Amino acid sequence: MAAILELQNLKKYFATQKAVDDISLTVERGQIFGLLGPNGAGKTTLIRMITGIFYPDEGHIIFDGKKFDPVNDVGYIGYMPEERGLYKKMKIGEQAMYLAQLKGLSHKDAMAKIKKWFIKFEMESWWNKKVEDLSKGMGQKLQFVTTVLHEPKLIILDEPFSGLDPVNSNLIKDEIFNLAQSGSTIIFSTHRMEQVEEICNHIVLVNKGKKILDGTVKQVKQEFKENLFSIGSEQTLSSLNGMTPFELIGSKDHSHVIRIKEGQNPNAVLQYLLQQGIAIQSFNEILPSLNDIFIKLVEGTPTARQFQKIEA
Amino acid sequence: MNKIWIIIKREYLTRVRKKTFIISTLLFPLLYLGLIFGMGFIAEKSKQNLHVAIIDSSGYFTEAAINKQNQADNSSLLTLVKGNADKVIADYKTAGYDGYIVIPAIDWKEGSDSLFFKSNKSYGSGSTAAVEAKLNRIWSDIKNDSLQIDLTKQQILTKKLGVTPKNIQDENANAKTAEGIGYIAGFLIYFILLIYGSQVMMGVMEEKTNRIAEVIVSSVKPFQMMLGKILGIGLVALTQFFLWIAFILIVYNVGKASGSGGMATQMVGSMQKIFTSVNVPLILFCFGFYFLAGFFFYSSLYGAIGSAVNEDMREAQSLSFPITMLVIISIALMTAAISDPTGPIAVWGSIIPFSSPIVMMARIPYGVPGTVPWWQLALSMGLLVLGFILTVWFAGKIYRTGILMYGKKPTWKEMIRWAFRKN
Repeated sequence: MAAILELQNLKKYFATQKAVDDISLTVERGQIFGLLGPNGAGKTTLIRMITGIFYPDEGHIIFDGKKFDPVNDVGYIGYMPEERGLYKKMKIGEQAMYLAQLKGLSHKDAMAKIKKWFIKFEMESWWNKKVEDLSKGMGQKLQFVTTVLHEPKLIILDEPFSGLDPVNSNLIKDEIFNLAQSGSTIIFSTHRMEQVEEICNHIVLVNKGKKILDGTVKQVKQEFKENLFSIGSEQTLSSLNGMTPFELIGSKDHSHVIRIKEGQNPNAVLQYLLQQGIAIQSFNEILPSLNDIFIKLVEGTPTARQFQKIEA
Repeated sequence: MNKIWIIIKREYLTRVRKKTFIISTLLFPLLYLGLIFGMGFIAEKSKQNLHVAIIDSSGYFTEAAINKQNQADNSSLLTLVKGNADKVIADYKTAGYDGYIVIPAIDWKEGSDSLFFKSNKSYGSGSTAAVEAKLNRIWSDIKNDSLQIDLTKQQILTKKLGVTPKNIQDENANAKTAEGIGYIAGFLIYFILLIYGSQVMMGVMEEKTNRIAEVIVSSVKPFQMMLGKILGIGLVALTQFFLWIAFILIVYNVGKASGSGGMATQMVGSMQKIFTSVNVPLILFCFGFYFLAGFFFYSSLYGAIGSAVNEDMREAQSLSFPITMLVIISIALMTAAISDPTGPIAVWGSIIPFSSPIVMMARIPYGVPGTVPWWQLALSMGLLVLGFILTVWFAGKIYRTGILMYGKKPTWKEMIRWAFRKN
């Protein structure tokens, strides 16, 4: 089966900025896809093109194997923008119904689905309440429900956990896994890296309108690893001299961080340590966190992009 | 199309179900009637019957002449002061007068423009006018006596020639009625444009401040969203308008059925007079047209402003000022058009789209094709349709960009640039 979404050389220039500058990527079906980048990297513009809000200046969007048709395909997409909200004065049930109908659901269909979700999230008693009576967390739950209600093939969540307490965060997180399991594809945009590591299979990092990283979480970590290992031992390693196959980076309590020298490998390190009579309690590879990788790649670029004159 | 319909339904129902809609629908006609009757009532009530001392140095005023007019008209009481005039001037209050007028030694052929009603309080012109009128009637009696003009001659002298405007193309036309209907229709459209136009603006601002705009535009096109809102609110205005018409008809029919009641019969009578003197179906049709087209014209502009600003009401006000000015200028043109419905201001004001909804509605009651030729009406309607297509298009372009922008308030120049930007 073809990928759910394929972006080919997408470009979107604004008067003062190359918001999206030639980005191509592929989102496979059933993936939880992390779209990462610092503020102002072009994430939102990219998402707005995928959701049919903006038209790309150049490039193609292939949705579900066909050329993306903004008018009809938006019914298969659920989008929860970062700047999100609901009508404050409108009753919750009517609000969910309204948004569902705008996605093309019939009244009867929408009603059944709203009931299902409201029961799942224990929101049945809210039907006649107004949004202004809800806490922020409750509002976010409702927002999530209205995003996924029409069973979209592609769900795009922009910072979905902002404003949620840990309990509700977990609830939404579990739902994201459930939706992916049942065949939906999820694009998850954030700059909270610990969440990405926990949730996403595949990530893309954009900066200054360009894609600078693309791969599975595992691949990326392998790619950016620095051959660091941690060794647990009650003995000190600093007294070891001579031809060590590693250099010692630091020690704390009974844990030591080493970097394996070029041309060496973990086995050689272990062999050497055993020969030296070191009692090893643990030996682990230290992979870089996505946070480290993110900072390393993005560092040095100003957080707010400089405005540049574009001749479009 | 279906999605626009869903939006219209929401915009309409949320507004019509509000208590404020019901209250304002009921209250507006009551306030309007209250204003009309109340003003007349207050003006009548606030008139005072002044008691005025007349100190005569001319020697023409006699007690008999004054009493004759006091009997004919009791809206004021004049008393001729005999004897010590200085005492009255010094202390008119204790003598029971509200003030005094000194008549200098004038000649009956001359009269005088410089008499003063002196008192230590200020009285409304309504009260002093009654005194002046009475004094003049006495003065006329004095002149008539001196010229030896008897009652028959007096009656002959007061006969005048009356001229009433009559349009030969429209035999039933009645300028007074037309003027009244023109004012009412023009002002109604003015209120609707301002009130419902700003409702569109507030509605759009609400979507922006609640951050729901982007959620909605991921389902529908911004243009559909804007159009749905405008149509929904337009329907609310139309509903309110129909309720008022129904209200008038009910009052009319109840008045007709009850028959005898003094005020009711009077109202029914005057309404029948209106119905026969103007083309009611044409006026209603034109009102509907200019009301809707004018509403589209202005509310789309108001909507565009709502999309461009942030939460701040002041930003919205300063940006919408030019639009509001256009509506107010239209009212000024309307006043000119009513006093001269075929003059150049009236003709051009009723053809140029921004002012035509108000100015044309003020002219139509004078008669079509008598006062407003068919070609003017057609041109005005055609241009207004073109006009609102243009403003809706222009507003749609601004809306599309504005609704997703947060931060600095844009200037009109920037908004115009948005309109001509590619998608």
